[in-house]
Amino acid sequence: MLYATPVAAVLITMVLGALIFTLLGYDGLGAVREIFFTPLTNPYKWQDLAVKASPLVIIAVGLAVSYRANVWNIGAEGQYIVGAVAGTGVALLTYDMTGPWILPLMLLAGIAGGAAYAAIPAFLRTQFKVNEILTTLMLTYVSVQLLNYLVFGPWKSPTSMGQPQTVLFSADQSLPYVIPGTIVQLGTPIAILVAILVWFVMSRSVFGFQVRVVGASPAAARYGGFSANRTVWLALLVSGGLAGLAGILEAAGPFGRLVPQFPTNYGFTAIIVAFLGRLNPLGALLAGIILAITFVGGEVAQTTIALPFAAVGIFQAMMLFLLLAGDVLVRYRIRRVANEPARASA
Amino acid sequence: MTVLNRRTLIKIGGAAAALPLLGGAAFAQEKLKVAFVLIGTPDDNGWNFGHDTGRKYMLDKIGADKVETTVVTNVAEGPDSERVFRELAQQGHKLIYATSFGFGDYVHKVAKQFPDVKFEWATGNATAANVSTYNAKFHEGRAVVGTIAGMMTKTNTIAYIGSFPIPEVRMGINAYAIAARKVNPEVKIKVVYVDSWFDPAKEADAARALIDQGVDVITQHTDGPAALQVAEERGIVGGFGQGADMSAFAPKAHLTAIIDNWGPHYVKSVQSVLDGTWAEGSVWDGISSGEVEIGKYNEKIPADVVAAAEKVKNDISAGTLHPFAGPIKDNAGTERVAAGDIIDDGEFWAVDWYAEGVEA
Repeated sequence: MLYATPVAAVLITMVLGALIFTLLGYDGLGAVREIFFTPLTNPYKWQDLAVKASPLVIIAVGLAVSYRANVWNIGAEGQYIVGAVAGTGVALLTYDMTGPWILPLMLLAGIAGGAAYAAIPAFLRTQFKVNEILTTLMLTYVSVQLLNYLVFGPWKSPTSMGQPQTVLFSADQSLPYVIPGTIVQLGTPIAILVAILVWFVMSRSVFGFQVRVVGASPAAARYGGFSANRTVWLALLVSGGLAGLAGILEAAGPFGRLVPQFPTNYGFTAIIVAFLGRLNPLGALLAGIILAITFVGGEVAQTTIALPFAAVGIFQAMMLFLLLAGDVLVRYRIRRVANEPARASA
Repeated sequence: MTVLNRRTLIKIGGAAAALPLLGGAAFAQEKLKVAFVLIGTPDDNGWNFGHDTGRKYMLDKIGADKVETTVVTNVAEGPDSERVFRELAQQGHKLIYATSFGFGDYVHKVAKQFPDVKFEWATGNATAANVSTYNAKFHEGRAVVGTIAGMMTKTNTIAYIGSFPIPEVRMGINAYAIAARKVNPEVKIKVVYVDSWFDPAKEADAARALIDQGVDVITQHTDGPAALQVAEERGIVGGFGQGADMSAFAPKAHLTAIIDNWGPHYVKSVQSVLDGTWAEGSVWDGISSGEVEIGKYNEKIPADVVAAAEKVKNDISAGTLHPFAGPIKDNAGTERVAAGDIIDDGEFWAVDWYAEGVEA
């Protein structure tokens, strides 16, 4: 039943979406068709799905671990940005060098950057009991300022004619294309690998068990000798590190450089992905593809049936809302109590 | 492989139904599909509105029987735009307008894959065999409104709400400041950046903060009328529409507007694709060719101010006045342009300083 709600949520979203947009005077069925099915039936769109889903999956897998541990990292967007910044720092330092070691070093820097940025809320939470929801969220805005400072200032390319952007990364600093003739880069296989790896760790290792126990029952975890603080650290470092990895993969891949427009809300959308995937790394893989379908399909719907841009946001929000509502209804039974005799009749 | 489903069946049915028309239709010219990729929505009443107005003008002039248009709104400047450009090219659009600077990398990427599709990149700085750029000399309009601001301000403090510190915006600020100080050497120009092309809340906040600091004329380099609405509400001397006439939002505060008139360019470029004469190039026109227009003057502007503004406009149009003619000092007192010299189009993009009187 728990695994049926995401499917139901997606299906009900389609039905409601078709209804709403028909009432608004658009081609409602066409909207659902273009948003949910065209990206799947048109093979040209598969590469777009891969590109769009990869960062969502990597971030969502990390968030799934964090949320399982009852640690609410809302600021994956910030860790994603800092990861990209850290990796770009390596790229700029090694700009005149060549060698196959540069890209792996950038990726490591990305992971380290994201993890280090998530370490701030981890420290505050474990030392001072500061709520990590607030700190992670607020640090996102700080990261945007950091990014802007760098690309408008010290990192601005000398050949950009004054435009805020870094130099274009060299071949050794860019992700290779894994499928010739498409735009699918190394980020996609990495996303799949990350999902499988983390699924294995979460379901088969003591670490995974610890995370789940601490999340589900802190008292039992304490009794079992699991340190709550250690779990908070691990949850934030893993989710931050993966968000950072997604950031540098995006910078070294589709973007090819750092620009002020780099933050595209992947970090926030990944929250929907994590929940739609039932906080399961493999589920996140599927959910990432579904969200990617709505993005890609939303553009198709705009060009073919002139559906407004906001429609995509409505569909995505509806999906999350229905999923959460579905969860409530699955877990609780509704009982009529009106006929019971009033107790306080004294 | 063709999968038989309802969609393909309809397609096949449609194709069959169209067969009898084939003989006659072969002679009629196929409609040219033209796409406009926007960074926001046309209802911003500014930048995107300007492009959409240009599109409608073009449709009107060329005729809906020869051309059909697709508009894609709210496209983020990044890899998402690459997908949109490819999608449009695959759907058979032969001319695609990318109306923001940040689309450039992706326009060039997709253009290589579709050599028979023409791309035009607004405010861009690099061309290719099938990529042209087009831009307007907005700073010429800034010189006109700067003249009005310099003469109308009572507090000698005027403001410029900028989007990002990029050359185009910086030169708008400089043109505004230079023109204002030419008619009023006492005037100070306060600059605030809002880090966005369209964020009405931030634009309004910036306007309020500036007015609190004694500013009584505001101009903005963002896409919407939010700052003007604050100017109207607070009853200061006024502000200017940017990109389009915004007097509907602030009938009292709206002094005049710098109107982006993309229509004639769109007509010319669509026609050239229809004629098969489209060529790689770079268009950068201003007041003289009508790409930049000055709107109606508010009736509260005194006649001598209108006359001065008109003179600046006409002199720029005639080529006797250049907004960046020397001598120009920067705000640290260093001479940047010698007397008798001007900042020409090539140097324009390298400018990273502010003119005298600017507080940024």
